[in-house]
Amino acid sequence: MSTILDLHSHSEASEDSRAPLEAYLNWLKLRRAERPVDGIVLTEHRQFNGSADYRALEDRFGIMVLKASEVETDYGHVLVFGVTDEMTRRFDFANVRLPAQEVIDEVARMGGIAVPCHPGRPNVGLCEHYTRKPALENVIAVEVLNGGSRKGEDERSEELVRTHGYGAIGGSDSHLVSLIGLCATRFDADIRTIDDLVRELKTGAYEPVDFRPRRKPVHHAVAVEVK
Amino acid sequence: MAVNYDPALIGRVFETTDPVPVTAEMIAKFTEAIGETNPLHTDPEAARRGPYGSLTAPPSFAVTFRNGQHFFQHVPRFGKQGFDAGKDVEFVAPIHPGDSITLSSHVKEIYEKTGRTGSMVFVIVRSTLKNQNGEVVAHVDHRFMNRT
Repeated sequence: MSTILDLHSHSEASEDSRAPLEAYLNWLKLRRAERPVDGIVLTEHRQFNGSADYRALEDRFGIMVLKASEVETDYGHVLVFGVTDEMTRRFDFANVRLPAQEVIDEVARMGGIAVPCHPGRPNVGLCEHYTRKPALENVIAVEVLNGGSRKGEDERSEELVRTHGYGAIGGSDSHLVSLIGLCATRFDADIRTIDDLVRELKTGAYEPVDFRPRRKPVHHAVAVEVK
Repeated sequence: MAVNYDPALIGRVFETTDPVPVTAEMIAKFTEAIGETNPLHTDPEAARRGPYGSLTAPPSFAVTFRNGQHFFQHVPRFGKQGFDAGKDVEFVAPIHPGDSITLSSHVKEIYEKTGRTGSMVFVIVRSTLKNQNGEVVAHVDHRFMNRT
């Protein structure tokens, strides 16, 4: 059984989002045919709420909710999956200049995985940093499909993956209710917990999936005579 | 470079305005201006039978109260330039004609983040609106963004 997860989303716990989790789940439930995701991962900016319990909402909407974090580093933004107390003691998640190599290595040592996100984005993505600094070591995967990408950003991310042989994930990076689930990651395996997710990101098979609606091409211009 | 500021700034009220009396006429002008038709805000008789027992101002009336004249002198600045990055308004209790509203302002939060366009420092200044009984009727969080 495969699992589709939106691996990158922000609820109102992030300072730049106004999206309540309940509204995300309701939206996905109503649009399951267009965005068939089994769950979402909340990756709140520069924080991790270890005590938050979303089981009641998961049960009510039948959609899994996992918790991670998006931190900021000297190589751009990084999603941290499998956050532990040891990690939050080791790193100040509010620091916007965390050392990326240390984050990747230490998070892995503590049982998690750090995944650079929107690498094709100016200033906060790996691609731009790789033009000035050596490539990071021990990167397993990066986010190549990001729902907030502008023209050319995902293409730069794809080129990065081809060049460095990274795994590729997708996430909506949703800050608004209507954008949740537009990009996601399909895993071959059944995922039920954050531990399952970390294991599959490290060793499993997965691919980014894009549920963004495509504009229909206009084949013929139509002339209308006005009388 | 981490954002540098005096932590004592946070939470310290730097300015409180004189009370502004609220009249039925002010509410009527506001409802007319925004096209409000809810009888709780436009019809004293209907409002009397409603949940608040008398006419109330529409919630967004809370943003019509001006901050103190020295407000901007107390907003911490970082870097070279910045702009108003929006407001969050939390409505706590209704405002009635006859109320007197004061605003007290303090720096609620200062934080740094990075984005497509570079590093930014955000300053959140909270103005708390209270009525003549000292009851909080609304919080207005002003968000200012500074380029660093």
